[in-house]
Amino acid sequence: MSNTLHVKIKVNDSSVALDVPLSETLLTTLRDRLQLTGAKRGCNQGVCGACTVTIDGVPVRACLSLTACCEGQSVLTIEGAGADRVIAALQDAFIEEGALQCGFCTPGQLIAARALLERNAEPSVEEVQQSMSGNLCRCTGYRKIIDAVRKAAQRLQS
Amino acid sequence: MNTGLFHPASVDEALELLARMPDAKIISGGASLVAMINARLADPAALVSLARIGELKGVSEEPGGGLRVGAMMRHRDAAAEKRFAGTLMVIQKAASVIASETVRNMGTIGGAVSHADPGLDYPPALVAAEASIEIAAPGVRRRVPAEAFFVDWYATALGPGEMVSAVHLPAARPGVGLYHKFARVSGDYATVSVALTMVRDAKAIATRVAIGGCGPRPLLVEEANRLLSGNPSAEDLRRAGELLQAAADPIDDVRGSAEYRLMLIPRMLARAFEEARASVGAMK
Repeated sequence: MSNTLHVKIKVNDSSVALDVPLSETLLTTLRDRLQLTGAKRGCNQGVCGACTVTIDGVPVRACLSLTACCEGQSVLTIEGAGADRVIAALQDAFIEEGALQCGFCTPGQLIAARALLERNAEPSVEEVQQSMSGNLCRCTGYRKIIDAVRKAAQRLQS
Repeated sequence: MNTGLFHPASVDEALELLARMPDAKIISGGASLVAMINARLADPAALVSLARIGELKGVSEEPGGGLRVGAMMRHRDAAAEKRFAGTLMVIQKAASVIASETVRNMGTIGGAVSHADPGLDYPPALVAAEASIEIAAPGVRRRVPAEAFFVDWYATALGPGEMVSAVHLPAARPGVGLYHKFARVSGDYATVSVALTMVRDAKAIATRVAIGGCGPRPLLVEEANRLLSGNPSAEDLRRAGELLQAAADPIDDVRGSAEYRLMLIPRMLARAFEEARASVGAMK
């Protein structure tokens, strides 16, 4: 028998059918098969958060998810989140606050921040820190990211 | 055909698959196993997914007031579980500081205890809570106390073809459970952790402490627990710290030297103990 598995998943609202090896991660599938390179491969160990996407609405590490285990599930990456009003507000606030420099971590930051704002419309500084501690950034020193997330939250409230 | 991904609908079916494919690995949340695959420490040809097994999900109350926690309970849900109250707060507190929020959406209690990395947060918390681990083998379930379940570095009481099906917690008792984690940054493995439960009776206290990150398995010293129970003096606390220090077997790694970890034990113990005592004192 072949060593690949047939998997059907939904990515950014489009159905895709794939044949993948058992040990292929969702991150590899997204980047190398589907050319969705928004989710980044940083540590590949679940530590850095650059690969954060949502599966059935829940933020997860694409690098720790096996594509074969995602059968029937719905994946959202930053490429598919452009029309989302929370993501749009976050993007504006990130730009205004200078909450990115190289941008490598930004797709993961945005997906993680969106999940936070959907649960908590007005997070405190501490709540942003706690919720997003799994998204590393080597450029900003975090303060600007926290400011941007809270600014977006305020704007979405009004 | 011993390759592929299998989705058993029951624990019995999962055990049959494991019996048929001795090299297969179990996957629950994937947080540890997939990291190992990425690091090329594991390359399983067959995976048995627990995702569709209903009996591994949720928390149920048992006769006598204890709780049966399904192996697939995610860290996120454990961190928010209201029934982990009183002394069982130690479980909630430990779950809430595992890795980061996104990883807590993935990882499960069964996966964490099976992985048995001594730097994990659950092992000392489960020992302090007097939890027992339910092991499923073909045709039989048995329970092993947490302190006997964790055997060595990444080694547990699980035999070949067996799996963790649940974690049993004793009835929550009035008092507190806390988990202090000393780590380099938020989300890291513990350099040293202290899991502590303190029961408050009419006059005296009963304390149970387990130390994480200081050897191959959570550190539990009955004599230290005895010293910290009743009506402990400052001298008892100092002596308990020394006993735990003497029993510890830490290593040098990127999180700290063995010497540094030994130094942390009595200091962290004292901090956790005083916090717990103040908290049960305030409960009167």
